[in-house]
Amino acid sequence: MKHELNLPVDDRDLINLKIGDVVYLNGILITARDQVHKRIVEYFKNKKDLPASFKNLKGSAIYHCGPIIKESNGTYQIISGGPTTSQRMDDFENDVVKILGIKLVIGKGGMKNLDTKGNKIAYLSFTGGCGAIIHKKIEKIIDVEWKDLGICEAVWILKVKDFGPLIVSQDASGNSLYK
Amino acid sequence: MEKDLSILRKKINEALIKTITRATTRAPVEIIRSLKKVEKEEESSLAVEQLKLMLENFEYGEKKVIPICQDTGVLNFFILLGDKFPIISDFRTIIENAVDKATELVPLRGNSVDPLTNQNPENNLGINVPPIYLSISENSSNLKITILAKGGGAENISKLFMLNPSNALEEFQEKIVKAIKEAGGMPCPPVILGIGIGGDASSCMKLAKEALIRPLNQRHSREDVARLEIDLIQKINDLNIGVMGLGGKVTCLDVHIEVAMRHPASFPVGLIVQCYSHRWASFEMNEEGEIIDET
Repeated sequence: MKHELNLPVDDRDLINLKIGDVVYLNGILITARDQVHKRIVEYFKNKKDLPASFKNLKGSAIYHCGPIIKESNGTYQIISGGPTTSQRMDDFENDVVKILGIKLVIGKGGMKNLDTKGNKIAYLSFTGGCGAIIHKKIEKIIDVEWKDLGICEAVWILKVKDFGPLIVSQDASGNSLYK
Repeated sequence: MEKDLSILRKKINEALIKTITRATTRAPVEIIRSLKKVEKEEESSLAVEQLKLMLENFEYGEKKVIPICQDTGVLNFFILLGDKFPIISDFRTIIENAVDKATELVPLRGNSVDPLTNQNPENNLGINVPPIYLSISENSSNLKITILAKGGGAENISKLFMLNPSNALEEFQEKIVKAIKEAGGMPCPPVILGIGIGGDASSCMKLAKEALIRPLNQRHSREDVARLEIDLIQKINDLNIGVMGLGGKVTCLDVHIEVAMRHPASFPVGLIVQCYSHRWASFEMNEEGEIIDET
């Protein structure tokens, strides 16, 4: 089944997403990979304030991605941005989705420890290596946080349009396409 | 004479920048052909849908001259230097300069991170990068440089096995199949495997990496080695991991094995895993700096 969803999503949207379904997303999401996951959990444990823009992510999506960004005259353009291997974030993701109120996790390869059922979330796979095509799917870069982590590791806040095909590979009922 | 060499240096630099661009912004023809064949054979609809996207992505990247994958990898340089080529030194400087320029021009992702401080100079340079492998060809006045853009996801699955020689030939296949099975979708299958058998711990890894550059579907010239390659392709495809780990008939596009004599007590086997987006390009120039071949 094919779904077109607008971010933020709610629990009702999640119930309809079954493994094997294809999703196209519109709206605002963030990129986050290794260092960001580690830092979010550290900040939370140490009661340090997260960036203000992270407060608007309830029902939004995290995209495991380290993009290529071109910076000219203070504006950013995304050049290429396919997914990265999600399993590297496995130790942190359950905490991160709770802290930020995230409903969709997007990446490649699936996650072993992600509790999609308990967290009422879904994991969506985007085909690895498909970085150039992202050029068409990112409407604009809204902002960047934690740029001190480097271009690839920073949090890029993106407005996406027709972002897909994303394959529901771990659904909110706990089913998984990865065996 | 000195003036001529500076022109030649400039020509190498320009050829390197062009070759880095080619290596990262388009897929080799043989990969496209191979994926199209898989698309026809594959029965899983999720595999077919993803193969279509992969091929569309290759086309789009090549048309726009932007990196087909955001992970432009670690650029591995394989230099085949003719012993009569006029420049035999300074290659690290020439290559570093080209990497710096290409990072800005293409642009490439900054993929060199200090292992202790996590600092990223965003130029793909720094301590002991990029890796450069030098071989000398005798009685030649040409220079050939092959550039392999090696992404992190597939590289993370690479392994070194130091096996017991008495049962290594049986054991190594099991070890490799197990490594690919456990990796599932992580290395972006369908994968290509480079395997080095023999030599020592470091040389078998180098053989494995160089094996990736061999043209796709070309078997080793030794029949017993070629048979091992065919066996492994079959065993890996039987895993049903499929495109991006979501199931299907094809998990592996090819296996290339290279061999070297081993120490009587050692049986090293090196495995380098490459993703379906097997990006490499090369150029060959003569002593005048004229390009005589490009891939």
